[in-house]
Amino acid sequence: MKIKFKILSGFILIIMMLVIAGLVSIYEFSRLSKSVSTLIDDNYKTIEASKTMIEALESEDSGILLLLSGHWKEGREILYSADSLFMTAFHIAKNNITETNEAKYIKQIDQSYLKFKERWEPPIVGTTKENSIDWYFTDLHDFFLATKNNVRALMILNQDSMYQESTKLKEKAHRAIMPGIIAIIASLVFMIMFNFLISRYYVKPIVDIIRTLKTHTSQSQSFDAGIVTNDEFKELEKEIQNLIYRI
Amino acid sequence: MRVEIVLRYVGLVLIFNAVFLFISFLLALYLSETTDIPLLYSMLIALIFGLLPIIYVQQTSYISILEGISIVVFGWITTCLVGALPYMLWGGEFSLINAWFESVSGFTTTGSTILTDIEMLPKSLIFWRSSTHWIGGIGIILFTLLILPKSSTSKLTLLNTEMSKLAKADFKYRAKEILRILLYVYLGLTLLETVFLMIAGMSFFDAINHSFATIATGGFSTKNLSIAHFNSVPIEIIIMAFMVLSGLHFGLIFNTILGKSNNIFRSSVIRAFLIFLIVGITLVSLKLYYNGTYTWWTSVRYAAFQVISVGTTTGFATADSVEWPGFTRLILIYFTIQCAMAGSTSGGMKFDRVWIFFKAIVKHVKIIQHPRAVILLKVGGKAIDEDIVKDTMVFIIFYLFIIFITTLLLTLLNVDMITAFSSSVATIGNVGPGFGEVGSMGNFSGLPDLGKFILTINMLLGRLEIFGIFSLFFIKSWR
Repeated sequence: MKIKFKILSGFILIIMMLVIAGLVSIYEFSRLSKSVSTLIDDNYKTIEASKTMIEALESEDSGILLLLSGHWKEGREILYSADSLFMTAFHIAKNNITETNEAKYIKQIDQSYLKFKERWEPPIVGTTKENSIDWYFTDLHDFFLATKNNVRALMILNQDSMYQESTKLKEKAHRAIMPGIIAIIASLVFMIMFNFLISRYYVKPIVDIIRTLKTHTSQSQSFDAGIVTNDEFKELEKEIQNLIYRI
Repeated sequence: MRVEIVLRYVGLVLIFNAVFLFISFLLALYLSETTDIPLLYSMLIALIFGLLPIIYVQQTSYISILEGISIVVFGWITTCLVGALPYMLWGGEFSLINAWFESVSGFTTTGSTILTDIEMLPKSLIFWRSSTHWIGGIGIILFTLLILPKSSTSKLTLLNTEMSKLAKADFKYRAKEILRILLYVYLGLTLLETVFLMIAGMSFFDAINHSFATIATGGFSTKNLSIAHFNSVPIEIIIMAFMVLSGLHFGLIFNTILGKSNNIFRSSVIRAFLIFLIVGITLVSLKLYYNGTYTWWTSVRYAAFQVISVGTTTGFATADSVEWPGFTRLILIYFTIQCAMAGSTSGGMKFDRVWIFFKAIVKHVKIIQHPRAVILLKVGGKAIDEDIVKDTMVFIIFYLFIIFITTLLLTLLNVDMITAFSSSVATIGNVGPGFGEVGSMGNFSGLPDLGKFILTINMLLGRLEIFGIFSLFFIKSWR
């Protein structure tokens, strides 16, 4: 094998190792950043939407209590504004289904909220329902609690998933850093090995040829530098032998 | 010593590892597992380090003994380092020391693990873990030699370094043939066991992994509960049969298949080894039954599996022997020290040495009775050379001394005595599980990092017949 090729192959191998380590790190870091954005997009949005839905439900409950006590205007104002807030948050959650079972919770929220709304939408002030705590607890409150529990379940599902994903982030960060660390150590070992082979196969033959040439001129011995490799050094040794023979 | 020659052969070993890493990588790709990049990167590192010396260093027709020992020792150490890379890169339970421990345990076919939940691992990493057993079982060096050019005395030097004197005594072939025999028997047994386990109801993945671990006398399972997970008598019988076969001399198995006279049925050492196992199983079964631990059938079932598993240095488990009575645990410890036969894939002390030791005791008693008599120590009708007897005695004493030192060091690190002693015995014997914290259903994760490192040295010593490694420490005396 030619010297040029051997030296080049050594460099190609080390470049390969560094390039691969770099590519692996880039790939792992991009996976890491993708995970972070997924974490925000998939779970954080729904968690925030769930919180808004709970707040809206609480407001609606206050609005109903105002209606029960005869404050029609204030009660209806709070109810319609909370309903609009709830529906906006609900649509955010509905359009961001990313986890298993999430669709099931969304459907349950939709159903229980519809029933809850059916109870408070008809007039309350000036009817038999006004001041009726019994009606509130027997006919309405259960649907309020059911909706709230379903929203809470959706939130817990996303919180758990977010926790699991953030635990995985640690692993992903580890996987992104490790190739770099291993590449540094491996490169050091590789350079020591490469240096050894260069000195053993390229420096030593030159030293041997010079030494043998010196010995030859002073003592007129036959020329043999003891080159064992089958490359340009062997050719050089042969050419020197030919030259000496011709002289 | 020509360092470049050592580098070339270690490079070949690394390329062989790269092949198995590539197979594991393909599996990771197929299953879309997170281990794809760690396996690919490890494969490339192994390939790059393997290629460089092969490009530069020409093959040689002569290898000195020192070079041979260096190739074997550094070959094992480098392989274990490369084997740890996928674990390190993947993370999870694998810290730096845990990855090194799992890799050394795999390649030396010890089968001790630091994993608390094996089933959590991606399948491709489990496959790589089992592959380390399979590669280590036959000795990576032997594998590498198969792909070397034919006419070379270098093979014999490496073979002499890799294989114990006792094993070679039964091989009546030339080096090339020994390699061929080992490979045929090894591949044949692996394929046969895989097929049998699949017939018994295991999935292909579980069957191939358990075959790798059985034939290499390793012990890594794909399940947290080891073989107990399957709770299947046919599976246990198949694994027991192959554990026993893998614990026998491969040359004699090959002879038996070819119908030659020097076969497993005529070997007195094999007969003695099997008798020891049967006596062990009987004693353990009786104790378990009369102690009220299990019913009669269950006692025999569990005793047979555990004794064979430990006695062949495999380390699979069907029951938690930590809970067993002291008497049975001591018998298992005896088998952990005794190990399987020379010429098999097992490591440690080897039964052949124990057999020579017992014969030497008998001879000594006879000499006391008849001081003038000329009494020969015979094994299988053949007189054993005094040098071999002396070597055996030195080996046994040194082996026990290392166990004592390791136990001492572990107790210094505040490991309880039972765990320290049994883990020392189990790792130097390449058996796997011990007692205490490191029982058959436990793991080594709770040990201190330094303790784990000490045990990996034990594993390498057990695998390389102790003196191989030690002779490198006295490199000056080679000059």
